[in-house]
Amino acid sequence: MRKLATVVAAALLMAGCSSSGATTAPTQGTAASQAATTKAPATAAGSPVTITFLTHWPPQQVDLLNTYIKKFQASNPNITVQVRAVPFGSLLTTLRTQAGSASGPTIAGIYDLWLPELVQDGIAAKAPAAQVQDIQQNWPANLVSGAVSVNGAIYGYPNEIDLYMLNYNKKLFADAGISAPPSTWQELVTDAKALTKRDSSGKITQQGFGLINSWDSGVVHPWLSFVLSDGGKLLDGTKPLLTSPAAEAVTSLYNQLVSTDKVTDPSMGTSNANTTGPFLDNFTNGKTAMIVMANWWESALQTAMKSNFANVGTAPIPVGPNGDKAHSVSYAWLTVVNAHATADQQAAAWKFLQWLHDTGSGDTAGASGMGDLLMSMGILPSRTSDVQAFQSKLGEPFLKAYVDGLADAVPFPIVLGGAELTVAIQKSIESVEFGQATPQAAMQSAQSQAQQILSQYYK
Amino acid sequence: MSRGRVQAVWSTVFLTPGVGLITLFVFIPIVLTAWISLHQWSMYSPLGSMSYVGLANYADVIGDPVFQQALLNTFVYAVASILLIVPLSVFFGIFLYRPAIRGRSLLRTLLFSTYMVPTVAVAIVWGYLYSPIYGPIDQLLSIVHLPSQAWLGSANEAMLSIIILNIWQTLGYYTVLVLAGLTQIPQDYYDASAIDGAGTLGQTRYVTIPLLHRTLVFVIVIAAINTLQVFDPIYVLTQGGPVNATNVLTYDIYQTAFQFGRAGAASAMAILLLIVLLVAVTTFLRVTRED
Repeated sequence: MRKLATVVAAALLMAGCSSSGATTAPTQGTAASQAATTKAPATAAGSPVTITFLTHWPPQQVDLLNTYIKKFQASNPNITVQVRAVPFGSLLTTLRTQAGSASGPTIAGIYDLWLPELVQDGIAAKAPAAQVQDIQQNWPANLVSGAVSVNGAIYGYPNEIDLYMLNYNKKLFADAGISAPPSTWQELVTDAKALTKRDSSGKITQQGFGLINSWDSGVVHPWLSFVLSDGGKLLDGTKPLLTSPAAEAVTSLYNQLVSTDKVTDPSMGTSNANTTGPFLDNFTNGKTAMIVMANWWESALQTAMKSNFANVGTAPIPVGPNGDKAHSVSYAWLTVVNAHATADQQAAAWKFLQWLHDTGSGDTAGASGMGDLLMSMGILPSRTSDVQAFQSKLGEPFLKAYVDGLADAVPFPIVLGGAELTVAIQKSIESVEFGQATPQAAMQSAQSQAQQILSQYYK
Repeated sequence: MSRGRVQAVWSTVFLTPGVGLITLFVFIPIVLTAWISLHQWSMYSPLGSMSYVGLANYADVIGDPVFQQALLNTFVYAVASILLIVPLSVFFGIFLYRPAIRGRSLLRTLLFSTYMVPTVAVAIVWGYLYSPIYGPIDQLLSIVHLPSQAWLGSANEAMLSIIILNIWQTLGYYTVLVLAGLTQIPQDYYDASAIDGAGTLGQTRYVTIPLLHRTLVFVIVIAAINTLQVFDPIYVLTQGGPVNATNVLTYDIYQTAFQFGRAGAASAMAILLLIVLLVAVTTFLRVTRED
């Protein structure tokens, strides 16, 4: 225990001390950003500066990033860019514990839901004027305002967009005599029944529809996509709507799939810290016929399934009885600069980011380096010119449905306390999946927790 | 200078480095954690931005059902692990201490080797072993016509799965502790008991176990401290799920502090854990104290 208390306290102390070194962190970040803008040319031609890029990308993408870094450094010999890669589960923790000083990561790829808190805590620096202009000119306006801005100020370069679709195994569908993926909840239930197989003891050996558990976004994003496709939404401003008819209807649908129709086995949907594990393995091994997942797992599917990847189909989220059309949750990632980095580091970081996101830095004609990096993982790039440069790839069967779904996608609400809110909803949904609560009780509990969480930040 | 004064000066000189380090790395962090627990603080802003909230964090934490579940899970994990580890380590210790056992050095090494493997690596491997349907353990069960188990994917079995993993990994360590204790028992007692007609079971019951008392107390206290701090397998394998079934205090503290940015509440949890642990260990040591 003493060790635990020591570790926790030491971490808190380090965070506190490093932060306390900059007693006016938010304004300091802004001032440093402004300084960065003016000092950029001096850094490029002057003293050497080392910056670090914190990411959760896998080794292949880190290697690719390093090739672009070499390319950048060839024309910017005074700037050294080092990559620090950590597992996704450690990304925010690493950023929060190390970003309080100039020796922490200079650049970090972050999930947009984290941005408000990083801005509030003075970790994310405002983009300098030149980069603001670049971002405003070359990215869709709704993405700029929704994913990389807080209170009207821009804090980073948008890079990837992710959304959720129904992935299904075409071979299992053909074996079951089903010609097309479900487009409504009723069809989803009917198809899931036909696709479910059991052993002699009645245990599911092939589930018709898979649900993910033990991973907050993996639970909440698919669930919310169903809610949106039934005419509901998560928040009205900062007021949670978890007891809305749509939220309760989706949770009841989950309950039906697991407990009534028994076409979903929650034990087959566990995720580990790397957001892989049984939920992925069961789909790639043909033990899960349908699952709702994001486009970024394309590379994981390709790696695991090899030639069988051709069996993977993608379709819009099945629409609920009160929905007008399929809507997916979408979220974005962005690259931000540490407000606690030195002015020279910030200037170098913005310069590198602008280069990496710019047309021509990539290997594909007309694409940015970031665009190439993202497409190597099956992730949709967001820069307008990248979308055009990768049109043929984006038209391939797996990604096309995702690209088509972008128009009707709804961004996950970016609010303070968003991470805690997501976990609270996750636990409530899981309590239904594992038979510990009724859909109504679970949603009431989620609503109560969500209100309590948001009330800490919004009076 | 008097002899006593000289002794005091030298005592101070020799004790200062150790006491200083303990103060710096143990005492001050604990005091700081207690101080932070009385404040609302996001942890990533300056210490000066903390706002005093009194005992509000403690009230929130104690009334939080997730914390209550994590507390319960932590004690279930600790008690179940200790109840299994202690008799097993004594059994293996006595077995491997017997001179008649051939290859006992090799067996000791094999038993201890699991403890040498990093817990994260162990957790990753066990994650594959526990995979439902296609995992090796379920494959073995199917060979002997036993039903497939959900293991980590079940709210009822996930904690048991983590306990099994812990016992597999740490049993060798505790067995070595027991072996060390056995070497401290003089052979004379066994010779005397043999003259009195005691067999192997009798010697174990009336000589070995009573004289292992101090070792077993040490094993239980160390096992309690280690199990109450379980984190790695939970983080790697279950993230506290499903439905909080494996959410333990350390993981709850980590999530509250580093994912939710609520350092005050996390510090209150840490202090509560400290208090509970101090009370539990002190009570245990009092109860098991030899006259």
